[in-house]
Amino acid sequence: MMTMIGTGGLIGALCVAGIVMALGVIHAVLALGAQGTRESGQVSSMLDGIMRLVRFLMGVLAILVSASSWGLLSSLLDNNFALSYVAEHSDRALPLGYKIAAFWAGQQGSLLFWAWVLGIMGMVLAFVLRKRDTAEAAIALAVMAAVTGIFVLLMLSVKSANPFELSPERLIDGRGLNPILQNFAMVLHPPILFIGYAGFTPALGLLIGVLITGRRDADWLADLRPWLVVTWVALTVGIILGAQWAYVELGWGGYWAWDPVENASLLPWLTGTALLHSVAMWRKRGMFKLWTAFLTVGSFLLCIFGTYLTRSGVLQNGSMHTFGESGMGIYFIWFMAGVGLCSLILILSRLGRLRGEHALEALISREGTVLAGNVLLVTMMLATLYGTVRPIFSSAAAMGGEPGAAIEAAKPYYNRLILPMGLLLAAIMATGPVLGYGASAGARVKKLLGIMAIVGLLAAGIMAGLGYSWGFLTHSNPTYAAWTIAVAAVAAAIVTGVLLDFGTSSWQLGRGNLPAGVVRAFLITPRRWGAQVAHIGLGALIVGVAGSSLFNVNQNVVLNKGEAATVGQYTLTYQDIREEKRSNHTAVLAQVSVTDSAGKSYILYPERRFYDKSEQPGQSASEVAIRLGLASDVYLNLAGWEDNGKSAFQVILNPLINWIWIGGILMTLGGLICLLPQRLNREFQDLVEAPAPASTGSPRPEPSQHERR
Amino acid sequence: MTHMRIKLTIAGIVFIGALAYLGLAGMQQGWTFILTVDTYLSKPEYQTQRIRLGGRVSAEQLDIQKSQLAATFLLLGEKKNVKVIYHGMVPDLFKAGCNVLVEGKGDGAGNFVSDKMMTKCASKYEEAGHYKLTEPSTQAAETPK
Repeated sequence: MMTMIGTGGLIGALCVAGIVMALGVIHAVLALGAQGTRESGQVSSMLDGIMRLVRFLMGVLAILVSASSWGLLSSLLDNNFALSYVAEHSDRALPLGYKIAAFWAGQQGSLLFWAWVLGIMGMVLAFVLRKRDTAEAAIALAVMAAVTGIFVLLMLSVKSANPFELSPERLIDGRGLNPILQNFAMVLHPPILFIGYAGFTPALGLLIGVLITGRRDADWLADLRPWLVVTWVALTVGIILGAQWAYVELGWGGYWAWDPVENASLLPWLTGTALLHSVAMWRKRGMFKLWTAFLTVGSFLLCIFGTYLTRSGVLQNGSMHTFGESGMGIYFIWFMAGVGLCSLILILSRLGRLRGEHALEALISREGTVLAGNVLLVTMMLATLYGTVRPIFSSAAAMGGEPGAAIEAAKPYYNRLILPMGLLLAAIMATGPVLGYGASAGARVKKLLGIMAIVGLLAAGIMAGLGYSWGFLTHSNPTYAAWTIAVAAVAAAIVTGVLLDFGTSSWQLGRGNLPAGVVRAFLITPRRWGAQVAHIGLGALIVGVAGSSLFNVNQNVVLNKGEAATVGQYTLTYQDIREEKRSNHTAVLAQVSVTDSAGKSYILYPERRFYDKSEQPGQSASEVAIRLGLASDVYLNLAGWEDNGKSAFQVILNPLINWIWIGGILMTLGGLICLLPQRLNREFQDLVEAPAPASTGSPRPEPSQHERR
Repeated sequence: MTHMRIKLTIAGIVFIGALAYLGLAGMQQGWTFILTVDTYLSKPEYQTQRIRLGGRVSAEQLDIQKSQLAATFLLLGEKKNVKVIYHGMVPDLFKAGCNVLVEGKGDGAGNFVSDKMMTKCASKYEEAGHYKLTEPSTQAAETPK
């Protein structure tokens, strides 16, 4: 029954998507054809009718994809092992939360989940655009339906993509979920990332609508912006959760390995970040229009490219992270080529209308820093993309090398290229938000920039002084020492800039009452301060990456019971080892006492789990024990043991790593604050919008015709 | 050419120059060869440099000593095989029949000495009716710096 609902829902969704596409095109043709003609009045009632039908059908499409998704989800919950997908990704003993997570744990399920998110987003877009009976709304919804339809078509036409494929054998139990996916972060990481991937589709639809109709004003950006913010937040959360999962679950003590599939999620995040800033510039200054168009299309294509990497089998040798070969790769290539070519033609045909309304007047200005930031973000994306795809083209013939040889980017490639650009980006990010617009932007905040530079230099000096007097820089590689000092300077400049900027504005908004001013600042201009919270988050993340990469200690120790080892400033004493039977696995736990240099002690219990459904007896999954700390994590992994109790441990000290997660939370929070509506009323408009007096150095964006909607 | 255009051009040249420098540095040291066992054994020049070697773990001569943070095994190619001496955390998914990538170099005595290993469950398990490992199956282990 559920199989019928699932497959029926998909077939129905495909038909409805086709109808919406056709109606969208008819609407656009009629609307554009009737513009300025005598029949425009007669046609408008027909267009109203078509739009009502399109909106209704977008709701039907969402319901049909939801029904299909329910078909798979309820099959997982009901242990319906007649479905191959359920048999391969679940079993009777699997806890409820992981049964739900099994929905998106496999290739077919994740495709259906993506289609479901697209269906829901399509319905929301139809609702948001309910008062816009324009050709561009019809086109946007048609694009939304088309992309949803393509995902549905893939599931129906490619056997290995169909989540409702019946199992060839009758099974009484399934094979269970991969143990390393049985982790809280992994329950949330994929769906949130898929929301991020899907979120660029409404953006693409809106852009295509504007390009086809040739609209000149910037009002449509008010519809676009919330989608982009939600998408950016989802990608940020998804990437951070993925890194967190890798850290706690994979047992190697790292969080980012520059794996092609990790890179695939980073690529649209980089262009999406640039896109958010470009949209702000278009809205406020009528600039960066071409950037916005290319970044919207590019971000969408990079999301499809990410799924192509995971599902096509092209990275079977290079990545440890893919779904395996599915036969879908060629469809994704055609899809990307089609969307890319059509978008390029449309953009080129509207080049005149995508020309900026202002020329760049100064490099030291908000526009100048956004331009520099965009160039850096896109360059980082291209460098990451090159490192990711080169293995695909590095087969023997392409390399001029040997059969059976390939080449792949190793960590140094990314570290040498991406990290310096990341630090430069952070420095630009520190100055950009405090600058106003126009030729004299730098001069207006000269004092503030000076304070930021002094604090940055002081931080660098303090870091160097402490580092060499306490010794943590003395013994480190000179490059690492330079990195540490530079990161300290940039982080201090970011925090100083944001605090002075925010403090000055809040003081003025509160008319001397700082707490009231802080509340008002967030209520009146949430976008500005949300962005600053996100910037501080990125600064914290950079500090965390630098600390955990440059000063990481990774040591393996073999101990007998009662024996102790010293790692860094910690003493670890191996006390005991025991076995525990749990619901779907048996755990072997080691008891290790850890004492820090201040004499403070605690116990850690790293364990190995032997899952009942494990394919081979004796195969275990590590469950590391981590003592969290703002200064440093102590990460303990039980590697193995002998009958006499002798055990091996991997001990990793990860300084400042928790600032990565804190940074991620701040970036997410900042993004969510940006979604709050602006309440810029007349009372405060002058305070917020007035040109900044040079004496305070407070930044002030200049009034703009595009500003308030 | 306007004043701003000159500034932008200079900024662009500086940026491209810095990028080219970084790119060159990354290109020279940031790439690793991935070889099959057969290619590795047929080309002595690869046996003296640090590379990644891909193959399947043989059930014969497999000695996993997790408590010693070590494993020795035969890595199978299409026609030939090589003995791998690995020191470090043994990944959870490491076992006979598993596809692995080991990073290291030859010891001059015909063995491949590795300190980094990544495992991937072989697709043959799907055919054999074992559960399919899907997303992400990375298991990497690194030794002390």
